[in-house]
Amino acid sequence: MIRRTLARAAVVACVVVGCVATLPAQQVQESQDEFVALDELTAGDLPPEERLAAAPLLIGAYAFVLVALFTYVTLVARRLTGLQRDIARLEATIGRDGTG
Amino acid sequence: MPSWFLPAAAVCGLMFAASPLVIAGAPYESTMGLVQKIFYYHMPSAWMFLTSSLVCGVASARFLAGGRARHDRQAWAAAEMAVLFGLLTLVTGPLWARKSWGTWWVWDARVTSSLVGWMIAWAYLILRRYGGPGSEKLAAGLALFGMANVPFIYISVNYWRTIHPATSVVPTLPVSMGFPLWYCVTAFLLLFVLLLTLRMRVEAQQARLDALYLTLDERG
Repeated sequence: MIRRTLARAAVVACVVVGCVATLPAQQVQESQDEFVALDELTAGDLPPEERLAAAPLLIGAYAFVLVALFTYVTLVARRLTGLQRDIARLEATIGRDGTG
Repeated sequence: MPSWFLPAAAVCGLMFAASPLVIAGAPYESTMGLVQKIFYYHMPSAWMFLTSSLVCGVASARFLAGGRARHDRQAWAAAEMAVLFGLLTLVTGPLWARKSWGTWWVWDARVTSSLVGWMIAWAYLILRRYGGPGSEKLAAGLALFGMANVPFIYISVNYWRTIHPATSVVPTLPVSMGFPLWYCVTAFLLLFVLLLTLRMRVEAQQARLDALYLTLDERG
């Protein structure tokens, strides 16, 4: 009885292992049979969704530079304005205390 | 602010406003096409990044030698410029590379050393912001390493050849591509000088404000 159960288990194990071992190979074979070198194609043969457009990258680069510079200049100018306002306020306070 | 500041700022603004027209007039590069025009903002940004790191290093060395607050303010302002122009370089570069190289990033000597230089500038600013008293001398020492990295960034592309264009590209440019490049370099250089002056003015005003607070405290 035990020997028969072990024999069945061994058969099942062999089948499972065999299936698992061959599965990835079958999937690879089914997914792509061969690679075609790019030099056999021209850019015009690529489908439109495969072509990377240059314009969004170019516009993105220029927009990023201009927005970053404008943001930085605005931040520094605001900080300078705030400092000058505080200095004027403190100088007025010190002057008032000095004369009074 | 100095008397030349506002006229120079107006000229700089006009130059940046006209730069898309100048760049649009440049011819397309034969292998990269339209995306190569990122070059006209990418390279001036990179040069200003390297210039900022040099100015920061020289000002820090002078501060360490002489201890003058003006040099310290100049170094701090230049480190902020290095972070700003380094960011522009490290963003526009990958946008160009994605189309022309097929990848956003490569760990070649030029790109990696630029990233290291940018991180040194960040480290300088973080040290100044959170380092507490005495951090200005530590940061000045760090700036010397940032300056030492600049020649390495520049020549790296010639010694370790990868897909990044070499330094020989600029001298061999035809006039039709050289004019837009030097126009943009002039605009970026003017902007760098203006921003450095503005940023140093901020630090000078901050020092003045601190002195006024001390005066007020002494009077009780």
